[in-house]
Amino acid sequence: MNTTVNLAWRLFRHEAKRGELTIILLAIILSVSAVLSLSLFSERLQGALKSRSAAFIAADAQLRSGKPLDENWLMKARDLGLNTAQRVSTRSMVFFGDEMALTDLRAVNGNYPLKGSVNVANAPFGAKTPASSLPRKGEAWIQSRLFQSLGVKLGDEIEIGDGVFTVAKVLVDIPDAGFSVFNTEPIVLIRLSDLAATSVTGPGSRANYVSYFTGTFSEINSFHDWLEPQLDSDIHRWQTVEDDESAIGQSVARAERYFLLASLLAIVLAAVSIAVAAQRYSQRHFDPVAIMKTLGATKKTIRAIYLFQVLFITLLGIVIGLLVGFVGQQVVVWGLADRIDVSLSVWHWRPVIISILTGATCALLFSLYPLMQLFSIPPLRVLRRDLGSNLRSRTIQFLAAGGAVFLLMLMYSQDVKISAILFSSGVVLVAGLLVATFILIAVGRKLGAGKIGAWQLAWARIKRRAMDNSVQLISFSITIMLLLVVLVMRNDMIAQWRAQLPEGTPNYFLVNITEDKKDILDSHFSANGIEIEEFYPVVRGRFVAVNNERVNTEVTKEDEPNDERRRGLGREANLTWSNTLQKGNEVVRGTWHGDSAVDTLTAPFPVSVEADVAERLNINLGDKVTFNVGSEVVETQVTSLREVDWQTMQPNFFFVIHPAAMEEFSATYITSFYLPTEEKDKLTNLLQPFASITMFDVDARINQLREIVEQVSVAVEFILVLVLIAGSLVLIAQVQASMDERRQELAILRTLGAKGSLIRQSVIFEFIIIGIVAGFMAALANELSLYMLQTSVFQMTASLHLEYWIIAPVAGAVIVGTLGALGCWRLLTLNTATLLRKMV
Amino acid sequence: MTSMIKTSNVTKFVTTSEGTLQILRPISFEVKAGESIAIIGASGSGKSTLLGLLAGLDEVSEGEILLDDAPLHTMGEEERAVFRGKNVGFIFQSFMLVQSLTALENVMLPAEIANLPNAKAMAMRILEDVGLAHRAHHFPNQLSGGEQQRVAIARAFITTPKILFADEPTGNLDAKNSEKVEALLFKLNREKGTTLVLVTHDNTLAHHCDRQLIMSAGELTEDSTVTPSPVHEAH
Repeated sequence: MNTTVNLAWRLFRHEAKRGELTIILLAIILSVSAVLSLSLFSERLQGALKSRSAAFIAADAQLRSGKPLDENWLMKARDLGLNTAQRVSTRSMVFFGDEMALTDLRAVNGNYPLKGSVNVANAPFGAKTPASSLPRKGEAWIQSRLFQSLGVKLGDEIEIGDGVFTVAKVLVDIPDAGFSVFNTEPIVLIRLSDLAATSVTGPGSRANYVSYFTGTFSEINSFHDWLEPQLDSDIHRWQTVEDDESAIGQSVARAERYFLLASLLAIVLAAVSIAVAAQRYSQRHFDPVAIMKTLGATKKTIRAIYLFQVLFITLLGIVIGLLVGFVGQQVVVWGLADRIDVSLSVWHWRPVIISILTGATCALLFSLYPLMQLFSIPPLRVLRRDLGSNLRSRTIQFLAAGGAVFLLMLMYSQDVKISAILFSSGVVLVAGLLVATFILIAVGRKLGAGKIGAWQLAWARIKRRAMDNSVQLISFSITIMLLLVVLVMRNDMIAQWRAQLPEGTPNYFLVNITEDKKDILDSHFSANGIEIEEFYPVVRGRFVAVNNERVNTEVTKEDEPNDERRRGLGREANLTWSNTLQKGNEVVRGTWHGDSAVDTLTAPFPVSVEADVAERLNINLGDKVTFNVGSEVVETQVTSLREVDWQTMQPNFFFVIHPAAMEEFSATYITSFYLPTEEKDKLTNLLQPFASITMFDVDARINQLREIVEQVSVAVEFILVLVLIAGSLVLIAQVQASMDERRQELAILRTLGAKGSLIRQSVIFEFIIIGIVAGFMAALANELSLYMLQTSVFQMTASLHLEYWIIAPVAGAVIVGTLGALGCWRLLTLNTATLLRKMV
Repeated sequence: MTSMIKTSNVTKFVTTSEGTLQILRPISFEVKAGESIAIIGASGSGKSTLLGLLAGLDEVSEGEILLDDAPLHTMGEEERAVFRGKNVGFIFQSFMLVQSLTALENVMLPAEIANLPNAKAMAMRILEDVGLAHRAHHFPNQLSGGEQQRVAIARAFITTPKILFADEPTGNLDAKNSEKVEALLFKLNREKGTTLVLVTHDNTLAHHCDRQLIMSAGELTEDSTVTPSPVHEAH
């Protein structure tokens, strides 16, 4: 064994010195460094984004409950090392003299908020600054709207239940305020210790008890594991940053999926390059294996020698790859430090382990088939040089490589769907390429006939290579396809993110606009140079029965997936009516009622219900839904179910009824408008004439969302560049892998007197043709994978990318042609004698 | 003298797309220990096929081969490999050196495979014998054709094999180098008492051997014993 290891080490050392192992070593380094840098960077970035996201729930995790929480639970959390904070909230009337208003009362303890900050201003609608403390005992901080509706000033005393509080500050926002245009009362913030004195949370009150937790991922998880069996799903709801269904949460989730995709593609690229390099390595060792077998080496000895070599090179590749990957991502993180808040102090082991596993798996699995070929070389090759490996079946290779790629994808993503999509499009690509190869051969035969010129030589070589080495053509296509997928996904994702929040997205909402104020408001705002968006009519109605069966249980908060959305379904629902389908809404079942005529005497009025609410309330198409509006009963029948894009910053409705149903009722209206952030001081003047109208400020929320989108976009572009580099290296490895065969052909052509220019042109043409075919196939596979990725994984609207059907073949021709020419340049400049010597 | 190689009715068939082809008709002959024979014949006559079978690189379709009384025809590939490592040396027309090993390491290779102790010292000594000690640490592509074949000869003799198979050993060399290599080959053969089986179509080289077997169309057509012509001593 010792001799075998010595021999393996000696071969490895010499081969490494002679540069024979450079490509396979580079491929392993590439796989390890790409996976490490991408996943380390993405983990850090995700960490940064999550901590931003955490600010929107004021913690890493929240536990909401309809009743006070068990003190032991909080103690357990603290024992596990978690930080905790508490809030109790309820709706409560606030009185100031004769004025009163319904408010969202939030009583918090001293640790609140664990993430994010409470922002205050010196005057109503004034510029916000983060508060350095919380309301003191006996103090209340109230939102600007409440100053407006109660007519209160700073220092005045207000009554909440049995308690009296001094208005100490203007509350601008709190981290977990949530956002809803409807039924959101202005927030009043007080100390938790003052709550008892108000007596507003007695029996029968609808108070919410929220506990906040921060800690490491594993601390949070172990607490949740301990807590979960004790939770009652009717009362408790556990929410973490990952569960965030808001626009920001979805942007982060989508970005995470993109990072995952990019990392997966980097693995596939690395695997392809290792397969190519290992194939070349194997072919170059046919002779040494035959010699050693002739000299008495058994299969076992040969296996040991080459497996040790694979081991040496894998270890070396992994070590260098880890260093390169770490330094690479560190440089980028430093470069982006001023643009992205990525913590450098956080170290993640998972990427390191994953990249080592990836390097080892790639090196072993992808060199397995070439090594098996090597082991099967007969010793007789020393006499008959044409004898190659006994392993002929490419099917085994494709199955082995395919299986390995799929396993790697699954191991890394732990996501069967994303792996299956990428893998199946890869299979389609390979099948398509095989067909293309045969067509190419048929076409090439015709074109290759006649007088020998550069084109004919190029075609003749392709004809042979396409048969002999279809792996190369396939790997060119896969590389181009993967680059396209990453590029197009990045473009589409950023475009769709930005489209959600185009410049001029309404950042203020106005509600409670009466019919007579509509026109006055419109002209007043116009006079001040501000455009008012559409007016949506709203009446409040009680949802009372489905198919004449009374709804016993009210839709309580605990049932609903999102704090912001559920308010539309409290005791009263906001009903609107329209003939036209709102922007961002899509009918998924049934047909939109439009302006169809309704026989109001016999038939119920058509209503369109938001699909998620319909599912929660078990409402189906054709069901009769009864509402009480004031003292009137409105009978409706579900004619359509809609999916609503909640990420658009516009009012959305659970129930949209045919306008004929609502003719009798007097509605109020809601609308929205855009005011640049720097003109915020205009608000007081704008709203002064309309005391009864309530305004919601979502400007800060929109700006935050936009900031996150910008940051994620920068990160996405960084990843695109990394994948591009990885892809280019793979292409270079592929070109170099074909050098030996080329050298032989060039030597023969030269010896036979072919001109240098003819040979050069033929080589370039060959690569151009391969590039065009690979680009075309890549565009086809790209379209297929994108369709599946966008619709199934990224929840985006699928789109055709016709421009890439031209860009990909052209780019393929240019890139593969250039790389091919550059790769062969040295070979093309060697004289015939040198070429012949290198052949021996 | 004892028999070192004994073949009886050795036949080889190959299967092609057009059916089964017989490339060796039944061949029987015997070679004594220490004897040198040349297998000569035109291209395609089957001489290399016969060499491959005699050396245990390929399997006979029918017939028997005994090397030093060991039944080669009944051995599996692995057994034949071990047997080759212990008893057989090779020299090829295209030298067949491992390009990524130095001259010294190439010579050491059979000794290491056979797990012999002191492989390095043995290799160095034999490289001195072939006059290439000063080139020990050069790689094959840094050596001339003649030098490469001398390294191959050194490699063939390091395990002091009982039988040496040489396939056109001077086929890739110019006249001067051919002479040197021939001289060295026969000198070591004599000194070590090795049985030599040489495949060639060079009549001069063949006439240095004790016997010539002439092959034609897969058949052994003549087995002649002649007085070997003298070989110039290597310098």
